[in-house]
Amino acid sequence: MAGGKGERLYPLTQDRAKPAVPFGGIYRIIDFTLSNCLNSGIRRINLLTQYKSLSLNRHIMQCWNIFNPELDEFINLIPAQQRVSEDWYLGTADAIYQNIYVLQTDRPDLVLILSGDHIYKMNYMEMIAFHQERRADLTVAVIEMSKNLSRELGVIQVDEDYRIIGFEEKPAIPKTIPGHPDLILGNMGVYVFNTEVLVRRVIEDAKDRNSQHDFGKNVIPAMVGQDRVYAYSFRDENKKVAKYWRDVGTIDAYYEVSMDLVAIDPQFNLYDQAWPIRTFLPPVPPAKTVFFEEHEGGRVGVAYNSILSSGCIISGGKVFRSILSPRVYIHSYSEVRDSILLDDVDVGRHARLNRVIADKGVRIPQGYQIGFNLKEDAKKFTVTQSGIVLISKGTLLG
Amino acid sequence: MEKVLCVDDDLSLLRLYQEELAEEGYKVILAKDGKEALRKFEKEPPNVVVMDIRMPVMDGIETLTAMLGKDRQIPVILNTAYPQYRENFMTWGAEAYVIKSSDLTELKAKIREVLDKRKKTGQI
Repeated sequence: MAGGKGERLYPLTQDRAKPAVPFGGIYRIIDFTLSNCLNSGIRRINLLTQYKSLSLNRHIMQCWNIFNPELDEFINLIPAQQRVSEDWYLGTADAIYQNIYVLQTDRPDLVLILSGDHIYKMNYMEMIAFHQERRADLTVAVIEMSKNLSRELGVIQVDEDYRIIGFEEKPAIPKTIPGHPDLILGNMGVYVFNTEVLVRRVIEDAKDRNSQHDFGKNVIPAMVGQDRVYAYSFRDENKKVAKYWRDVGTIDAYYEVSMDLVAIDPQFNLYDQAWPIRTFLPPVPPAKTVFFEEHEGGRVGVAYNSILSSGCIISGGKVFRSILSPRVYIHSYSEVRDSILLDDVDVGRHARLNRVIADKGVRIPQGYQIGFNLKEDAKKFTVTQSGIVLISKGTLLG
Repeated sequence: MEKVLCVDDDLSLLRLYQEELAEEGYKVILAKDGKEALRKFEKEPPNVVVMDIRMPVMDGIETLTAMLGKDRQIPVILNTAYPQYRENFMTWGAEAYVIKSSDLTELKAKIREVLDKRKKTGQI
């Protein structure tokens, strides 16, 4: 599923679908889910897209066009076809309903349904083995979360055998895990369905006038008690103490999850060669730092605790705890702190940035300061609740 | 008066539908293929559709899909001599599947059942 508008990520989603939002310097959010597929050996993928899909399509063609049709492998980009409906996708279940033709053409026994906008590492084959072992109609991946997050998640109750006996969407007062009053089982939006059951249930849902046509809100609650619905406890491939799964649904969440990557020991591990994250790398030279004038007032080009992508030039400026996408240029005497700069951002001489996200191609003029006076910044830019300043694509400054 | 749209390329069968279903008190609308059916579907929305699958011009599966695109709740009864279509997911959006016969007893019962269900849920 790669069709969400990602409204709460605006203006990063001004010109792109949420799964195509850049992340971690060189990646797009969807690379994590697709890498999970590849690392799990799943090589038959239909990607359902709808809004603002140009940059997503381009990324998939550049990076993910690696499957071999001779081996019956594929990645299909499927925009809303208006085949069985004159509407856009009304919800996640409707996206499947509108693509029953695709399922009829392929006739798989099982369908794995994934969101293209979460950051995590998971071997889906283990979940599929669990699904088959339990002879389930539907298996839902779950993760233990703090009960304070219940308003953002589907909350699931299970019996001893992990059969789902209750499912509430975003409850204010959630049912916690027995014996763990502070924890809930959260729905990760990862589903394994027996295809025939899936088709039947999404057709029933499509005909229900009162439905919002969403798996979490409508289809799964209706299936609990009627079908064999099981929960699979997420086994993390991230190899850290706490299980890692994040929905970067808001700018603040995006910022927080991104900045974890520049920590000394990040929670999310990009460096495990046993679980590679694939992406498209443009043909640009390696990152470079320039100038080391040791006299007072001299220019020094340095970066501390930062991620520097290929093609970046730190030329006589300083970068602290920041993430720089390819081809970012930092000019002399400038200073960038706690910021995320996407591709081709140019920071002029003597400019200063603090807790800023600058979208692709933004040019910060000489001497410009952003992130030091939020009241002033809010007149020109998006400023989030936690004080992150967002400079959208195409903003002209100075 | 409840309206039944009957779609079949077999004209003698259409005549039979007209006769027997009118006798049951329905207003019967006839179409000889999917294209004509869609035109009539839009012009005079029926309460139930009875449709063949194998038809020239536009077959029953494509027509069913297009009808559901206009009205997701429309009950369509697929009436065909070929039971293998039952396996096709694209037919699962139909309300019922009846094997074709010159004896309309089963079909008539199905039409009544579908319409009564619609009445109960306030859709007629």
